[in-house]
Amino acid sequence: MTTKKEARARRAMLGAGGYHGTGILLAVFFLAPFAITILSSFRHGTEARLPPIPPWPTTGFSLDAYRNLDSFGAGVWQHTLNSAAVAVGTALLTVVVSLLAGYGFSRYRFVFKNALFVLIIATLMIPFQSILTPLFIILAKLGLNNSLIGLTLVYVTLQLPFSVFMMRNAFDAVPKEIEEAARIDGARDLGLLVRVLLPLVLPGIVTVAIFAFLNSWNEFLAALVLLSDNSKFTLPILISAVRAGRLGAIDWGAVQAGVTVMSVPCLFVFLLLQRYYMRGLMAGAVK
Amino acid sequence: MSDSGVQLTEVRKSFGSMEVIHGVNLTIPDGAFVVFVGPSGCGKSTLLRMIAGLEEVTDGEIAIKGREVTDVDPSQRGIAMVFQSYALYPHMTVRDNLAFGLKMQRTEKAVIDERVAAAAAILKIEPLMDRRPGQLSGGQRQRVAIGRAIVRQPEVFLFDEPLSNLDAELRVSMRVEIARLHRELGNTMIYVTHDQTEAMTLADVIVVLRDGRVEQSGSPRTVYEDPDNAFVAGFIGSPRMNLLDAVWRGDGKVELAGRAEAAPIAGDGLAAGDKVTFGLRPEHLVVGAPGGIEARVDVLEYLGGTRYLYCQLTDGQPLIVEYRDGPDVRPGDTITLGCPPNRRYIFNEGGLRIR
Repeated sequence: MTTKKEARARRAMLGAGGYHGTGILLAVFFLAPFAITILSSFRHGTEARLPPIPPWPTTGFSLDAYRNLDSFGAGVWQHTLNSAAVAVGTALLTVVVSLLAGYGFSRYRFVFKNALFVLIIATLMIPFQSILTPLFIILAKLGLNNSLIGLTLVYVTLQLPFSVFMMRNAFDAVPKEIEEAARIDGARDLGLLVRVLLPLVLPGIVTVAIFAFLNSWNEFLAALVLLSDNSKFTLPILISAVRAGRLGAIDWGAVQAGVTVMSVPCLFVFLLLQRYYMRGLMAGAVK
Repeated sequence: MSDSGVQLTEVRKSFGSMEVIHGVNLTIPDGAFVVFVGPSGCGKSTLLRMIAGLEEVTDGEIAIKGREVTDVDPSQRGIAMVFQSYALYPHMTVRDNLAFGLKMQRTEKAVIDERVAAAAAILKIEPLMDRRPGQLSGGQRQRVAIGRAIVRQPEVFLFDEPLSNLDAELRVSMRVEIARLHRELGNTMIYVTHDQTEAMTLADVIVVLRDGRVEQSGSPRTVYEDPDNAFVAGFIGSPRMNLLDAVWRGDGKVELAGRAEAAPIAGDGLAAGDKVTFGLRPEHLVVGAPGGIEARVDVLEYLGGTRYLYCQLTDGQPLIVEYRDGPDVRPGDTITLGCPPNRRYIFNEGGLRIR
């Protein structure tokens, strides 16, 4: 009996060990790039030119890399602010528009509804590089070229097909009866949307917001083409300038610092919002 | 007008070019428990949703308590609805679910608290008030859904198959509960179901619907004992009425499976040789009646208190007999069946009852 019990306990421990071991290994695998980047961004200016092993600072922590990074363009704060404004603006505007559009496509009956929806989805197949020139011309006509607002509008446009699709699915998953019960309870229009439906499609909204934020935060080509003023550049353009170096010399420390500055907000946004990817919110509504 | 709870006048509903409700006229007395019953797709739910204001009325008029509400917003009609799927707000606690409608009407907080507490007491859901729907069982959820209707203090309660998602045992107890609720509150209630046990047990008035038309409305006893047509006769009662092909002989008898059977009608409007449907309820057939209809037993279902015999007449027509007491019968046996004259129903070729 005892031996059997012991054997079972040993097997369970081995199983748990394997499970956690694999988990730790994978975590190390995924976290290592972040660790290396962040650690090496704190190396001294001279150390930054040495081979990247070991990646951590050996001669004490220093903010040289960040100071160097700040000397590029209009200063790292300005560019971070530009990026943040564009990304947050894109996320907010995308959420508002796709929320209303998704609701409309999911709940209202109107002519050419499906054709219109397919048309919107079909635009996903157009590589956006191919419409960069027309976009540039349109923005110029609207007086919005070389402006962060113009760039935000372009990002929202690019983000919308996926987001509308996402929000329509989110609304489709909400049982019609809940909406009808709310209508009988006297909720109408915006009140219905905000007080009853919004909490139910929150996971969809969060997904849309995360995608919109990350995509516009990281976007390079449109920003490069549509912005011409140094002080309006977003972070990816700053990084590319840093990466290109000065007079042929690349400051790897500044590059690492730039990568850190760019990736930390993404991590932050994701960690902040991921808990809203809750499952089971719908459980108990019907059936 | 004041004594009518709900009045439907020539109500029609079309989806596109397809008409699904064909001019329904119905007067529901104030305080009555009315059950809409019919096979799936008969339009009973659509009709209920039109009364609720969730479906637009294509043509006709709906009045509640004498007030025309055909184009009035659902929240302003004085109705409350309980859905088959409960349709609780999953992100709100039970308390908030109950209070939501009153909050939307900007009712005073003290009044809301009072009404919510009263509804919770009626339904005995006080211990659940701070839970969310996801943490409740099916029966508890349905109680909350009913509670949400009660706090609105509606003129008319609308139930759309409220018990269909519950298991059999719970369904019976909730059925009793709903009957108790009707007695306590005394409101008009309209209840949609396809379950005829629910219809028979709960209803003051049963409305039998088929294909968007009212086939018959009346008390459970009326629709069971005095059906207007073969559809109602077949739909109400379990097992269903045996509807047998027969021929009117013109001498107060019909010819059924080569035998003459007395038919309790004068036969107005029928000519000798006309085809008729001869209706016999399984529970009215008496096994072993001398000189009765001959039938061979194919299958026997033993249910404890009773037995169902699935038989064939000599001309091959199937027939179900309910058999309670008496000598043992086995498949393959031939039995003779009698039926009291007042329990024999005759329908003409169009399915209309001949009285």
